[in-house]
Amino acid sequence: MPFPYLYTILLIARQEVTRIRTRFRGRASPVAMVLLLVGILLLLLTFRRGVVQGKGLYRIAVSPDGPLIQDERFEVTTVPSSVRYALLDAGAVDLYVDDDRVVHYGAERSLYAAGALKTYLEKQELARAGQSYGPERAFPLRVGVQRFPIEQARQEEEVLIPSLMAPPLPFAQVVAVSLHLFPVFFVNVFFTGGFMHEKMDRRITVLLSAPVTPFQVIAGKMVPYILLALVSVVCVAALLKGNVLMALLIFTPVVLFTFSVYLMVPLVYRTFKDTTFISMLATTIITSYLVFPAMFSGINDLSYVSPLTLAVKMYRGQPFGLKEYLTSTTPMYIIFALAMYAGSRMLNEEYLMRFRPLYRKAADAIYLLISRRHLNISIFVLSLLLVPIVYMVQLVAMVVSLNLPIRYAVGTLLIVAVVVEEVAKSAGIVVLIEQRVVRSTKSILLVVPGRTGLSSGGERAAIHLRQHRLRDHALGGTFWCRHVVAATCSAHCFHVGSVPADSQVGRSQLSPCSADRLGPARSL
Amino acid sequence: MSAFVTILKKELKAVTRERTIVIAIIIQLFIASFSSAILVGLMSLYDPEAIGLSARIRLRVGIVGDRSDPLVDLLRQNQVQVVPFETLEEASEAFSEGRIEAALLIPQSDTGSGRGLRHVSLFLPESEALYTLILMVLRDPLKQYESYLREQNGIHLKFADIEGRPSTLHEFRYGVILPLLMFFPAFITGSMVIDSLSEELANHTLDTLWSAPVSLHVIVGAKIAAPVLLAGGQCVLWATLLYVNGILIRNLVLVLLMATLNAAIIGVTSVFIVLYFKDRERSQFTYSLFILLSTSLGYAFDVSPVTVITRLATGDYYTGISDVAVYGLVLLGLLAGLFSLNKKLLSRVA
Repeated sequence: MPFPYLYTILLIARQEVTRIRTRFRGRASPVAMVLLLVGILLLLLTFRRGVVQGKGLYRIAVSPDGPLIQDERFEVTTVPSSVRYALLDAGAVDLYVDDDRVVHYGAERSLYAAGALKTYLEKQELARAGQSYGPERAFPLRVGVQRFPIEQARQEEEVLIPSLMAPPLPFAQVVAVSLHLFPVFFVNVFFTGGFMHEKMDRRITVLLSAPVTPFQVIAGKMVPYILLALVSVVCVAALLKGNVLMALLIFTPVVLFTFSVYLMVPLVYRTFKDTTFISMLATTIITSYLVFPAMFSGINDLSYVSPLTLAVKMYRGQPFGLKEYLTSTTPMYIIFALAMYAGSRMLNEEYLMRFRPLYRKAADAIYLLISRRHLNISIFVLSLLLVPIVYMVQLVAMVVSLNLPIRYAVGTLLIVAVVVEEVAKSAGIVVLIEQRVVRSTKSILLVVPGRTGLSSGGERAAIHLRQHRLRDHALGGTFWCRHVVAATCSAHCFHVGSVPADSQVGRSQLSPCSADRLGPARSL
Repeated sequence: MSAFVTILKKELKAVTRERTIVIAIIIQLFIASFSSAILVGLMSLYDPEAIGLSARIRLRVGIVGDRSDPLVDLLRQNQVQVVPFETLEEASEAFSEGRIEAALLIPQSDTGSGRGLRHVSLFLPESEALYTLILMVLRDPLKQYESYLREQNGIHLKFADIEGRPSTLHEFRYGVILPLLMFFPAFITGSMVIDSLSEELANHTLDTLWSAPVSLHVIVGAKIAAPVLLAGGQCVLWATLLYVNGILIRNLVLVLLMATLNAAIIGVTSVFIVLYFKDRERSQFTYSLFILLSTSLGYAFDVSPVTVITRLATGDYYTGISDVAVYGLVLLGLLAGLFSLNKKLLSRVA
């Protein structure tokens, strides 16, 4: 065999496949298959019907000559006009609709029903007018939209018809794109569960006593599930009539990222109950991280934090470049590499079977990541590898802080930025001091240059990336460009006095965007 | 009864002892609070009228051209501040100085007959967010202007004057966020029951416990009750969170009861699954499929728990305790089935 290392991984992967097949042989198989088939069938039917939010939310009474209402939000009953007031007064129906009139009873619920019905009937009426009178008479207004500055804008114009203007946000596409994630999470739960089982009955320990490396064990156990997850991505993309190759390109880092998070769960936790809870938490966090930024697709460049934005663009038939692809996916590839390395170091019996609180487990993991022979380089590499995590956490903090009032947002972001960066930078050294690997001030100082690897290189990269995102995106062009970048830069300067050059980078990149965009935003 | 309480306490302690689980719940609460805020903000952009309700936006629009056009009055009626300019260059300069946010070029109307297309030009900032926001704010007056022109063309649309409130946020809150938050703890309940029982079965501790003077019903009952209580507690937390966010839940007690009943039904079903398969891996797999199936089925029928919760929370006239009682009866039926079968199912393990 020309590649014995790879061959061992494939061998472990085959053994994992056999294990799953054995597990689901016998009476589990028909039950699971029936449930799976019916579930998929129902999901397909649901998807074809379209998802309605607020199904059966409103009750409407319609006179016999009233309009036909075919919207699942409305529970429609045909009643004679003689009972309409009795029904409305009792609050038994939200609205009464006759040939050309809608009557509500003034309560909040009734007014919302009227608003919903207005939107629905407006669409019907516009369609009727379009068919009866032709597009020019039915839609007599054209709005040519151009961008400031006017000289440039005259060259290109987007023409809109106000009554046919579509909502700007890709909500439907994001929901469709999210369908790619569910099978991936599903597969991940099995990967975590299988790993946990093998850990509990010590089969992994037995495997490690064979001439295989921890990396081979993890990779071997992961490969079948990753392939399964990728197959699901292909199936969903084909189902949604997307570009399958492009979908693979976009979702491969997502799959790797989810696996790197789920790999940590069985490595760190010991009971199934913990695993279930933490897996649920991981699902919530990953979903939030991936889905929410994608909602801003086409509005805000911060949306490129998530590769789902690329998928939304793909399904909308809009192009994106290598820069956008790398912005979304590079942190995920790096985190996968880091997780695989960390997993390989953590996969030993002592670490797996020890009961300790989470922070102690994290400290132990960091200690295992550091090579005692090359402390300086280890701390440097560790700091560097933590940059994408710091970057991701800070971006999430930035997105979350958008919801706070401005004065609190800046302060909160400042504190979060400081805490996240300092924890990331100091973690390695703290662990070394705790483990008494470094004792004297001299030895700590010898390690510190490695720590400043994050300060001088990693932080500069993180700040550059953050500012790059902020400089271009719209909200960055307004409030964020001035306040948030200043906040992150201050956070950086406040704690990293040793690298004043970074603060200069921050300031020099602030001025162009604040000058041309802050003005118009202030009044809004 | 004391045996039941003892096992219940033990189960609850096992959850609260692991601090990360508690942290996990808190983090989820935190994420949900912001998620709902983010999504509510986003939904505003689907419903331009909602922007006016949820935020006070003072928009200044420069007008170049025909200032007597009805569009100018419609802008004013929609709380848009109109600033007249002689030329587009002046308007552009005012935009650069931050005196206006957008500009409209309204050519002199030549449609005395009331027929033909009317063109206007709108100038917006380059920033995508401002572009979208301003366009959404201006959509209403522009639509009204279009309706005016349509009427000039002799076309009348029925139901154009319905008075109502923008419904998108309302539907999203009660049709999506509330059911999602109320059912999420129920999904965890099933997983926890499977974990708890499969662990006991794998370690053969269930046999030991059974040999003590405790009936099997008590053991299984307590193992279901603990996560159901936790789910109920989580639902109370979500309800508080929604209240803090200004979302009023009508029939709160019934909504919470419905969510807890749903958690209990899922809990009991997962006991059937784990007693049938006897190991965690297959049970969790089948349980996940069951959740997928029941969610899809629930969506397909009008009697789904999601619809009941939505209707209860919005104060629907026809939805009340009898609808909740139906789910109570389902639970009782499942419990009766479980207690008559669990010995049989467990004896196979022994």
